[in-house]
Amino acid sequence: MSPRYLLRRLAHVVPAVAGILVVAFVVIQAAPGDPVLALAGQHGDAAYHAFIRQKFGLDRPVLEQLLVYAGNVIRGDLGHSWVHGRPVASLVAERLPATLLLMTTALVLSSLAGVLLGVAAARRADRPTDLGVRLAALVGYATPSFWLAQLAALTLALGTGLFPVQGISDARRAWTGWRHALDVLHHLALPALVLAANELALTARLVRAGVVDALGAEYIRTARAKGLPERAVVRHALRNALLPVVTVIGGRVGMLFTGAVLVETVFAWPGLGQLLLSSVQTRDTPVLLGLFLLVSGAVVVTNLLTDVAYAWLDPRIRYE
Amino acid sequence: MTRLLRPTALLNLALLLVIPTTVGAQTAPARGGTLVVAISADPGHLNPAITTSGATHAAAELLYNGLLGRDERGEPTPELAESWTIEQNGAAYHFRLRPDVRWHDGTPFTSADVKFTFEEVLLKLHARTRASMSGVLAGIDTPDIRTVVFRFKQPYAPLLLQLDATEAPIIPRHVYQGSDPQTNPANLQPVGTGPFRFVSYRKGAEIRLARNPTYFKPGLPHLDAIVMRVIPAAGTQVLALENGEVDFLWAVPGPDQSRLRTDARFRLAQTSYHPGGSNCIMTVGFNLQRPLLTDVRVRRAIGHALDREAFLRQVLFGEGRVAAAPISSELAWAHAAGLAMPAFDRAEAERLLDAAGWKKEGEATRVARGVAGVADGARLAIDFLHFPAFSKYGELMRQHLGAVGIDVTPRPLEPAVFAPTVFKDRSFDTNVISYCNGPDPEIGVRRMYHSSQIGPAPFTNAAAYRNDRVDALFDQAGRTVERDRRSALYRQIQEIVVQDLPYFWLVETPTTRAWAARCDGFRPWTGLFAEAASCKP
Repeated sequence: MSPRYLLRRLAHVVPAVAGILVVAFVVIQAAPGDPVLALAGQHGDAAYHAFIRQKFGLDRPVLEQLLVYAGNVIRGDLGHSWVHGRPVASLVAERLPATLLLMTTALVLSSLAGVLLGVAAARRADRPTDLGVRLAALVGYATPSFWLAQLAALTLALGTGLFPVQGISDARRAWTGWRHALDVLHHLALPALVLAANELALTARLVRAGVVDALGAEYIRTARAKGLPERAVVRHALRNALLPVVTVIGGRVGMLFTGAVLVETVFAWPGLGQLLLSSVQTRDTPVLLGLFLLVSGAVVVTNLLTDVAYAWLDPRIRYE
Repeated sequence: MTRLLRPTALLNLALLLVIPTTVGAQTAPARGGTLVVAISADPGHLNPAITTSGATHAAAELLYNGLLGRDERGEPTPELAESWTIEQNGAAYHFRLRPDVRWHDGTPFTSADVKFTFEEVLLKLHARTRASMSGVLAGIDTPDIRTVVFRFKQPYAPLLLQLDATEAPIIPRHVYQGSDPQTNPANLQPVGTGPFRFVSYRKGAEIRLARNPTYFKPGLPHLDAIVMRVIPAAGTQVLALENGEVDFLWAVPGPDQSRLRTDARFRLAQTSYHPGGSNCIMTVGFNLQRPLLTDVRVRRAIGHALDREAFLRQVLFGEGRVAAAPISSELAWAHAAGLAMPAFDRAEAERLLDAAGWKKEGEATRVARGVAGVADGARLAIDFLHFPAFSKYGELMRQHLGAVGIDVTPRPLEPAVFAPTVFKDRSFDTNVISYCNGPDPEIGVRRMYHSSQIGPAPFTNAAAYRNDRVDALFDQAGRTVERDRRSALYRQIQEIVVQDLPYFWLVETPTTRAWAARCDGFRPWTGLFAEAASCKP
């Protein structure tokens, strides 16, 4: 892959994200609802509303608001939250680590377990193991994550008493050092499992299908004919079967974020999900735009990484 | 001149002698321990003086005090002010402050803090205090460091009920002076006078408070620490209580209550106080500008067609009361008993609709025959706007009114859309709003009926009700300090609006707090709910 290609792809990121921001801005403006009313609550009078409107520049024309916002973003300033009264960048930065921890854990868990289960099923195609994996994957994929989360909280947490149902750490004991790390892992287990379930199911089905396909190909027959051990044969097949899986995993980072919003809400996981939800409800536009910027940036970058991973996985692919 | 030195102390003593209250613990309360409280939203900041947000107030009031507190019946009690007098028939209020109060950073609390908090913060940024007081307040004087005088342009009745930490928390002048109170860093590192001081705030996760060792109330608080946990999902809050992870919930959803009530590990208590809005009544509002609804017989028919007991059972799971009057029964002195509210009576509803010209002609929905302003043959079809959380009210409306030939289309709208649709565009036939009466009718009731309150400001006079007599009575009640005379004025108002029916009052909606049985001493009726709480280890 040439460096020029990478540079060209990186240069595309900027207009893509800028376009997303403009569209998001327009969509938020077009949506019914008034942030000032959300801020004032039940008892504000007209003078109070005018005061708030002026304070946040909401009395200016929409185009002017957009230009001011765009100018600030170019200078690296995402603005202040209307509700929290604090810079959007720090609001997001405070909550990003928790969401990243949850999403990365879920992504790694689902990818590894998905590949293992998929391969196991493919090697025993149409036998009980395969049928079991396929059925479980179908159910797992069809189950909405918020419902699965509640079910897990009821059975695994309250039922067994082994897991906490909320938060990232124990409220009563402020652990430090490795005890804190263990405490966080203990709290991470349920939300990460629930968030991983959907992705795992999808990955397992894709891997199984890909490997079953590949195992029927000519080069596998050749590999078997020359006496390669079955492990090596499966490895050959897997490398081809992984191509669509990589595309899907890369393309699902945005979906994973959506899932995280729901799972975080059920498990009171202190990440970006709660911030997104409350900002939608209060029409806190600066925070919403900041989050859109983050998520769209992440999706664009993962798409780029997916393409890079492609070239590495498939020597036939060459980007110029 | 009316002199009211510590007016409720004697009464409280009498109550303690007669009735065993929840606070009067049999044994000395345990010292120490940590209380974990579930809060349903991240407060964002911890300055309750700049907002009426329930999230901030629930999390932050324990850090502060008001000039006055409130007792179980909502009556004022001494707090930062130890005594007060009312002068000029209520046009001036003198407060004597406690001498021994210090801010959490050690600075002494003085009258200058009170003047600063009102003039620079509350009257500008606290939506309720601003709306009710800024127009009538003439000035605040501080003749010495222990005296505060509020002067009004005319007698002002509700003042004593809007001085607690919910309506008017006092913040430190030496911290906020010369800054924008909305962006001052102290909003995240608060300095108060309250029973607990600030320790840490992990955004979106938790707030930790610790005992204020120099609190001005001797012996309080008992707890060493409080942790406020942000848990947005109500179901998860209940699970966390059952799993022993939290000790106190602000609200238990109706379906979970019976399970917790029969479990010896928990205690439940009902209250109509909430820092986001007290004494709330779910109220159906009629758009009086719509020809369909201008005839009072149609509105009365709707009242007769609604089985409010069914709302209580099916929507609130019994948690609440059918509204017996336009003013909440929690404001006992203002609530009028024995009013002629339309009772559930389908036959009467049908008779009234017939008389109003809405006839049954074979179809399920009635049609107009000679109704003023309505074309003959038009169907009696109305929409019903509600928050998505109130969708069950829409279902019951549709069902109950459908039974007498009124076709109801529920329209769920999220709050940020509902308010402008109803109050700015006035694009609705009927709606349901949780109107919170607040600590005084002047604050939370007047806005529903006074003709000056018709306009785009949300949660004001949704019906666009206009009655000069009612306007005059409200104005007079706001200027009348004597309780008995005020009660009589509010009774007249309620008698008139029950006849005119610009609204129909469905159910009062108190909330149910729950806590672990090993904890005790909560005061659910105030924002300083854990001031005297204690937990056994």
